[in-house]
Amino acid sequence: MVDGPVPVVRRALSGVLAASLLGLFVLPVVALFVYAGGGGIVAAARDAGFRISIEFTLLASGLAVGLGLLTGVPLGYLLARHRFPGRTVVESVVLMPVAIPHLVVGIALLLLFAPSAPLGRLTAALGIPIFDSIAGVVLVMVYVGASYVVLTSELAFRSASPGALDAARSLGASPTEAFVTVTLPSAARGIVTGALLMWARGISEVGGFLILAYAVTPSPPWGGPVTSTASVYVYNLYGIEGLPGATSAAALLVLVALAIFVTVRLLDRTGFAWARGGWFS
Amino acid sequence: MSRLELVDLGADVGGFRLGPIRLAAAPGEATVLLGPSGAGKTTLLRAVAGFLPLRQGSVLLDGARIDRLPPHRRGLGFVPPDLGLFGHRRVRRNVGYPLELAGAPEAAAETDRWLARFGLSHLAERYPAELSSGERQRVAMARALAAGPRLLLWDEPFSALDVESRDVLLRLVRELVEAEGLPLLLVTHDPTVTFAVASHVVVLEAGRVRFDGPPDRLATGPLDRFTARFLGYENLFAASELDGAADPVLAQGLRGAAGAEGLVVPAEAVRWSADPGRTASVASVRWTAAGWVVAVRDGRLVFRARAVAEPPGVRVGDRVALAVDPAACRPLGSATTGGGP
Repeated sequence: MVDGPVPVVRRALSGVLAASLLGLFVLPVVALFVYAGGGGIVAAARDAGFRISIEFTLLASGLAVGLGLLTGVPLGYLLARHRFPGRTVVESVVLMPVAIPHLVVGIALLLLFAPSAPLGRLTAALGIPIFDSIAGVVLVMVYVGASYVVLTSELAFRSASPGALDAARSLGASPTEAFVTVTLPSAARGIVTGALLMWARGISEVGGFLILAYAVTPSPPWGGPVTSTASVYVYNLYGIEGLPGATSAAALLVLVALAIFVTVRLLDRTGFAWARGGWFS
Repeated sequence: MSRLELVDLGADVGGFRLGPIRLAAAPGEATVLLGPSGAGKTTLLRAVAGFLPLRQGSVLLDGARIDRLPPHRRGLGFVPPDLGLFGHRRVRRNVGYPLELAGAPEAAAETDRWLARFGLSHLAERYPAELSSGERQRVAMARALAAGPRLLLWDEPFSALDVESRDVLLRLVRELVEAEGLPLLLVTHDPTVTFAVASHVVVLEAGRVRFDGPPDRLATGPLDRFTARFLGYENLFAASELDGAADPVLAQGLRGAAGAEGLVVPAEAVRWSADPGRTASVASVRWTAAGWVVAVRDGRLVFRARAVAEPPGVRVGDRVALAVDPAACRPLGSATTGGGP
């Protein structure tokens, strides 16, 4: 069947529009790498301060994703499988952090957790200071990113076969066994996607850190020197050295983020064959 | 070998009220729950499985109540409408799932045995998404039986199959139910499946039993109006319509079914006749998988006649000669339920 002129024009228009958006996504990153150049990226990698800030960011974002999963997956399950009064309110609250400007997030958290605020004094007394600490960075990351875990988990649990859980129960699985052996693995891909989005959101955050955890002082589990998140480090370089200094560090940060992102996506696309080979398959 | 009894079982889902239902299924007996969508078949199955709380009544297996046990302690082999296969597990670990849970010492060998029995050995390393519909059905059934159940509960397991695959599985089901000596409660809306597998049929409508008996009684015995319509009979005539003077042949059929409230006249019982003395006007003609169906008006009555072998080549408005075989007619009445524990 030969396409008439209208479908051809429609396809061409769709192609141009899609390519425009993809170009918008890709071109700035390409410009970053071209501008930084291989030498610039290597030089950024040799910057001990930046390397420390990347290590810190990976640690903090890992902790944040862990906390996000611990709290977000049960909430996603609750929203997917249960009807209860106030459910719509809960769903709106889950979406709220996505809509709040991140500087505002920092200010709001500072009001609660500043060293002089009651909650700040309480957490400090418990050995978990929030202001200018790794706990503050983690808190911001959870605030701005955990919504993604809740939303994708909810979707994953909702789309899982309703019969599979019943079948598992009838075949001898207690509610806990059925959840662990059937429900959770069925939703694993959605949960991993949510974790990945949350992680990406966390390492790209700046505004909240500028207010709540600009210069991170050592406190467990961060035993390194005073540092900042990698995004804040790049922001500082831009302020001090201008574009040339910031570009190389920014390009290296993008490389690290892309490497992790692509690795997880590849594992996801192969259907977690690594996991299926063992406990899941 | 287990015997299932439902004693005045009732359950509510939203505004839907099921029961009370009395039903008994002997070991090796396939009880088919038949009815249209919304009749309460799945609700009944889920209530027996323990996924729905009972409003009243009890579920007994070998005389012991199981309705107070959670689903995983009832000894079930349950197959839900979507089969409930675990997409993240290969076929082998789907079938072996209940054996793993039970910590069976010979789990691997037992799994292999069930895989072989259902012709799944060569598919053992595939994931459910890589199987055809028929293969997926076999995995679900093998897994249900591998659990070593005392009762099989299968909900529309043949709905996604072509006729050939369905017939193969139906044969397998018949063999297994007899060989394992298990009671099977099978939900379907398909009369063909029912007659192929059932040793006992319960027809449900709006949560109530409309027929309860063996399949041969459903095939040849008296039917109430709902059950007759559900089975596809289109010619249902109340006794008052079968005025002897107007329709002596049908009146003869009615006399043959003493006490009936009317007659069910299968379309196959209405034949083209060489006798031009009894003619009727063709009201409509349509083609179905079972042949041409011709609606004819004979005085006050409208018949639907089926011609399988020879398309009649008649048109709306033509007059055709008819003959009705009174022996092929079935009584229409309300006394069609019975059985129970």
